[in-house]
Amino acid sequence: MHTDVLIVGAGPVGLYGAYYAGVRGLRTVVIDSLEEPGGQVAAMYPEKPIYDIAGFPSVTGRQLIDGLLEQAGNFDPMLVLNDVAESVKRSTDGLIIQTAQGRTVTTSAVVIAGGIGKFTPRPLPAVADYIGHGAAFFVPHLEAHRGNDVVIVGGGDSAFDWALALNEIAASTTLVHRRAKFTAHAATIQAVQRAGVRIVTDAEVVRGNGSPRLESIDIMTKDGNVSTIPCTSLVAALGFLADLGPVRAWGLELHDNRHITVDSRMQTSVERIFAAGDIVDYPGKVRLISVGFGEIATAINNAAILIDPSASLFPGHSTDAAVPVAV
Amino acid sequence: MPYVIGSACIDVNDKACVDECPVDCIYEGDRKSYINPRECIDCGACMAVCPVEAIAQDFRISPEEMVFVDDNRTFFDEVLTGRSEPIGTPGGAATVGRVGVDTPLVADWPRA
Repeated sequence: MHTDVLIVGAGPVGLYGAYYAGVRGLRTVVIDSLEEPGGQVAAMYPEKPIYDIAGFPSVTGRQLIDGLLEQAGNFDPMLVLNDVAESVKRSTDGLIIQTAQGRTVTTSAVVIAGGIGKFTPRPLPAVADYIGHGAAFFVPHLEAHRGNDVVIVGGGDSAFDWALALNEIAASTTLVHRRAKFTAHAATIQAVQRAGVRIVTDAEVVRGNGSPRLESIDIMTKDGNVSTIPCTSLVAALGFLADLGPVRAWGLELHDNRHITVDSRMQTSVERIFAAGDIVDYPGKVRLISVGFGEIATAINNAAILIDPSASLFPGHSTDAAVPVAV
Repeated sequence: MPYVIGSACIDVNDKACVDECPVDCIYEGDRKSYINPRECIDCGACMAVCPVEAIAQDFRISPEEMVFVDDNRTFFDEVLTGRSEPIGTPGGAATVGRVGVDTPLVADWPRA
């Protein structure tokens, strides 16, 4: 596929970049390794109120992402989810990106808004062989679990949200957590308890049974007792691990082996590759969403004059009639 | 900005936090663990699971625990006993494994 700008990362900053690229009349592709847009905000704290977004005294992560999707959506950016920008190569007038799912994207510029990096679900080694055969990290479709003996592993918001939703349609629902303390919201925990979900604490999944599909699991409690419980659907909701990912091998100058060095145009050490948001570093960098919004506007406008040197850096005000408005 | 592990961790070193950290930035010393201040992303996942409430954000830490803000930095920036160079920012505790050495402050901390 061909585009003017490829934005790596569909978190708040990447999505705002998609809006701004739309304002500049640039075709835009946004790629993200997760199955849903929203990055860290959606994956780690969708219900947590955020208080430092300009103009919103309080907004939840989910509301913020919905708003950004709507704002960018008016310009029809292409959202490529569940895929990773793997490698980059120079062409005569742009860059060629290969993705993990085998896509080839030719683009005039790349803006990396990768936040804390590529997210991968934290693995549950005991059932590693059953991923896709009864065990999963996400619940994209509740219906797939109807009538099953569901076990959810984890103690965070995702685990409790899924327990509540799946309990409606599953034959049985059990939540297993290796500690006595949960990190989910108190109200959600209460709702799960009220709904009659069986909760087993201080217990770990030590083994999956069944061939080829998962039929039951062995769990071991802190005192060393092992018991077998029926399980035809297991959801491992153990959070995520983040890593800078393949970008590390793109030859960009890094700071502290973790952040991408940029100049005041948000240009990295490699021509045509810009970066913005939590992933960048420069003297005085402050890692906040509000700062990232400004940085990606700078990155996109500088990319716009790189793509078309006759264009002006300043895009005009969104209140000016000449600026493309949402259709 | 980063989270800091304080004195309550010493000789407990439960490591529940290590399982929670999404960026694997909690490194195991000998008597306690240490959060890499340049790798921490301020998510607070570690604080919620600490069984001895040893973890706080560096600007919300109690005055008597303030010394651990610098000490967590010392662990990564100074050359620890028996090592030839600072730990620095390896990009993940798993790449380093158990360090097995503490900062002078923690090594000399009175035992309960």
